[in-house]
Amino acid sequence: MQKNIIMMRKKKPIIIACCSVLVLFLLLVTTTKCSSQDKEPAPTTLAQGIDTVPMLIMQVQKCSKLYAAEYRVHKIITHDDALRLKGQLMSKAFDLKVPLADRKIAIPMDAKIKAYIDFSEFSEKNIERNGDKITIILPDPQIVMTSSKIDQKNVKQYVGLTRAHFSDEELASYQQQGREAIIKSIPEMGITETAQANAAKVLVPMLKQLGYEEQNITIAFRKDLDVRHDFRELTRIND
Amino acid sequence: MGNKIKIIIGGVILVVVIVLFFWVKSAMKDNYISLSSSEAIEPTPTQIQSIKDIGEWEFLSVSAEEMVDTVRKGFISDDELVRIYYGTLRLGIDMQKMEPGWIVTKGDSLEMTLPKVRLLDKDFIDEAKTKSFYESGKWSPKDRETLYQKAYRQMIQHCLTKENLEAAQSNGEAQMRNMMQQLGYKNITIRIEK
Repeated sequence: MQKNIIMMRKKKPIIIACCSVLVLFLLLVTTTKCSSQDKEPAPTTLAQGIDTVPMLIMQVQKCSKLYAAEYRVHKIITHDDALRLKGQLMSKAFDLKVPLADRKIAIPMDAKIKAYIDFSEFSEKNIERNGDKITIILPDPQIVMTSSKIDQKNVKQYVGLTRAHFSDEELASYQQQGREAIIKSIPEMGITETAQANAAKVLVPMLKQLGYEEQNITIAFRKDLDVRHDFRELTRIND
Repeated sequence: MGNKIKIIIGGVILVVVIVLFFWVKSAMKDNYISLSSSEAIEPTPTQIQSIKDIGEWEFLSVSAEEMVDTVRKGFISDDELVRIYYGTLRLGIDMQKMEPGWIVTKGDSLEMTLPKVRLLDKDFIDEAKTKSFYESGKWSPKDRETLYQKAYRQMIQHCLTKENLEAAQSNGEAQMRNMMQQLGYKNITIRIEK
């Protein structure tokens, strides 16, 4: 009996230590983060109730715009939707491509971009006369994407065995991104300069019909707009 | 003496375990695993296919959004696809089709013959702006093309109305009259081609 008590006393620190280890281990397990989400949690936002009302909306607007240049552009929107397993374990980062989980799509699209001169504010201020000579000072050309068309027949897609097909919402999102990319590339196209020159091509014959000699007609633009066209001699740069 | 040693050993083990706990915890603090895929499209070039000189004078723009749907009957449930298309119909005249002598002047009088306003461009839907409203089931590009054609027909029907054409014609006359007045003509007569 006394021997058992001595043995118990001998084992007591070991039992206490084991219990402590067990408690600490449980604490460790419960407090360690194991998440299937990104490292930085996405900010939580309240739903804003932005659903579009399902109805036909029509807006009619009177205007006076002279469209002078039309660019037809083509773009193939591509999206490679490979599924990746990313993470960090014991300070070691990893980024693995999940096999059989590829999705790829190519969407060809065409768009029309037009440049116009707004004549709705046209007034005496836009006209300068000096004897037989006339100068028309035009406002800055504005650029707009008037239409876009998805070449549905030639859309190509590949979907891996473990993935779902591209949803209509995803397709719409890619198309909208492609549209934005086209709009961003507009300044590199030189459509403004083309529009200036072409506006002169429309206005000069009209002014000739009114009795002005071609050499007496000037179409003026702002200083920062450079004109590169055959009608250059008919244009002037204003401050 | 023996007990003291055991207590010390127990204490040392406890300290080691605590240190180990905090070390492991700090090492695992930044652990995470995520499955992700990119939502962004890849950068591809935008090719200019053609540049055209045009002379389209727009007098009325009709912007429309059209919700169209298609339903496929199924054995258990029906599949449905609903999309919202956006487009702008531009009404006006084509200045490049003006006949010589469409303006005749005599002193401060001017006579102008304008063509009837029409739809300036048959491509008016901005399909890349389309919103997906609802989808159930699997739909092919051919189905989407059919929906586009349906939206096209509906926009023509709703927007290319007699009232809108008359409003465009009336505004066109007003705009041209104003321009000629600014150019110094007092008596302006505008005729519309039949």
